[in-house]
Amino acid sequence: MTSLVKAHGVSKQFGRVRAVDNVSFEIEKGKIMGLIGPNGAGKTTLLKAVLGLTDFDGELSVLGLNPFRQRKELMQNICFISDVAVLPRWIRVSQLLDFVEATHPNFSRKKAESLLEKTNVNTRRDSRVRELSKGMVTQLHLSIIAAIDARLLILDEPTLGLDIIFRKEFYANLLSDYFDEERTILVTTHQVEEIENILTDIMFINEGRIILDTPMDSLTDSYVELMTSGERADKARKMGPIAERDIFGKSVMLFERPDRDRLGELGELHTPSVADLFVAKIKGAAA
Amino acid sequence: MIANQIALIRRELWEHRSIFVTPIAIGLILSLGVLMTEGMLATHTAEVDIGIAAASNMGDESHRSAVINGLLFVPSVIIFIGMSILVIFYSLDSLYAERKDKSILFWRSLPVTDAETVISKALTGAFVIPLVSFVVIVATQLISMILTSIWIMIEGGNAVHLIWAPASLVSLWAATLAGVLLMSLWLTPFLGWFLFVSAFAKRMPLLLAALPIIMLPMLENWIFGSRIFFDAFFVRTIQPIRDAEEAAKATFEISDNLHVSSFIADPWQAIEFGAFFAKPDLWAGLIVSAIFITAAVYVRRYRDES
Repeated sequence: MTSLVKAHGVSKQFGRVRAVDNVSFEIEKGKIMGLIGPNGAGKTTLLKAVLGLTDFDGELSVLGLNPFRQRKELMQNICFISDVAVLPRWIRVSQLLDFVEATHPNFSRKKAESLLEKTNVNTRRDSRVRELSKGMVTQLHLSIIAAIDARLLILDEPTLGLDIIFRKEFYANLLSDYFDEERTILVTTHQVEEIENILTDIMFINEGRIILDTPMDSLTDSYVELMTSGERADKARKMGPIAERDIFGKSVMLFERPDRDRLGELGELHTPSVADLFVAKIKGAAA
Repeated sequence: MIANQIALIRRELWEHRSIFVTPIAIGLILSLGVLMTEGMLATHTAEVDIGIAAASNMGDESHRSAVINGLLFVPSVIIFIGMSILVIFYSLDSLYAERKDKSILFWRSLPVTDAETVISKALTGAFVIPLVSFVVIVATQLISMILTSIWIMIEGGNAVHLIWAPASLVSLWAATLAGVLLMSLWLTPFLGWFLFVSAFAKRMPLLLAALPIIMLPMLENWIFGSRIFFDAFFVRTIQPIRDAEEAAKATFEISDNLHVSSFIADPWQAIEFGAFFAKPDLWAGLIVSAIFITAAVYVRRYRDES
């Protein structure tokens, strides 16, 4: 396995605030890594460092390059869609394709055209971006990105502001048109439930620190949710759940590295959702 | 590198349609002015006949040539002034708009360096806009000449004898092209400054750019009693206008005593490339603009929008 992204002790400070605080992680080829964190956790700053859009302290290598010093080389093999990287409103669809074709050595105009043919943008080649709906702009952006033969794709809240149909379509298209074992995706989103079944790995970030970094497979081994009530709940509580909440009068407890046999005697066991695990971890970190 | 520059400059032309629209609009207004003047003169048949007869018999070819060349310079000067204002607004907008419309992160997601991007904007301001203006100047001159020829023919004059033969078009156009480009080089410190302001201004780039240009000479004179900044700005802005005025006066002298200045007789010969490139002020200005452009690259590269 080769690591596409290697971070060691990466920090970024804005005045007195440490937006990213001594972060270390690796992302291997062929993975879909979800970076999950609350607002202001440092997600975007970390992504910007990976993309070479901001300088940083510590060691960070992306595709073997220093992202800040070698942004141009990096961008030939890396793509990103971000809610804040908006397409210029004045540009025409055809001009945008012309420009990316002229500046990006790994862009396939043919592939972009054939991807666009499947979207609502197809008949709007002479339209300006400002005349397209938000959903169409995202389809356009994704078609361009998917037509770039890049090794790493970075998505920062790519579906923000889109309706549910476009959001579902976006991730479906991402998997069918873009992803294969040669490619790697790093994605952040608030709507964690939408992407948890496509992720291979997950990272939680809070207050600039990584509080969880694990393959999705081992999540099911490492965490379990117990639904129980009454006396059995008190017994379970003594086994040290990392979080507890009430649903319809029943207690739902989350356990890390659980003793499944003993817990199984106390109630129903479930695999926790990433969202629940996330809430538990963030609260645990704050406590 | 060069392929990227071509793509980037094309991008500038797509985004800033005013690069074409402004000079073309001025050119059309001027052409319309020629047409209207000629139309209004239609009722003064006698005066027009006398005028055409007088012009046809005026001096020798070199005098007719001087008058025509002088008249053809009028649209060049007006379009050049319009172009200079266009360059100010273009350069102030060029690195500001991409932050205002938040497309900067998209542009930076492509394999194009910040230096390449800023250089494409500097090249557009320094060369592309002047070249477009030059083409519009030539077109406006040709349209005016064609309109006037038709009018002269209707009035019974000989347009070839009066206009086309005496006009030193090749010399005039070569001089105009050299003139807009040299003048543009001369003004690059302002272009660099505007690009730099455009790269860092959070709002109101025009005000931010204009204030130091107005305030620095005043403050310098008030505090130190010196006028280094005043002279530096003067030599680049007011001086060329004074020079143009002198040239215009020389043209008027033709009608008084038939003295033909060398500038107006053969404009191309009158341009002194050697003297221009020997001016220390030119090179000092180019260095200043290089510093500002480098600063603009660094601001774009290091600025964090989040």
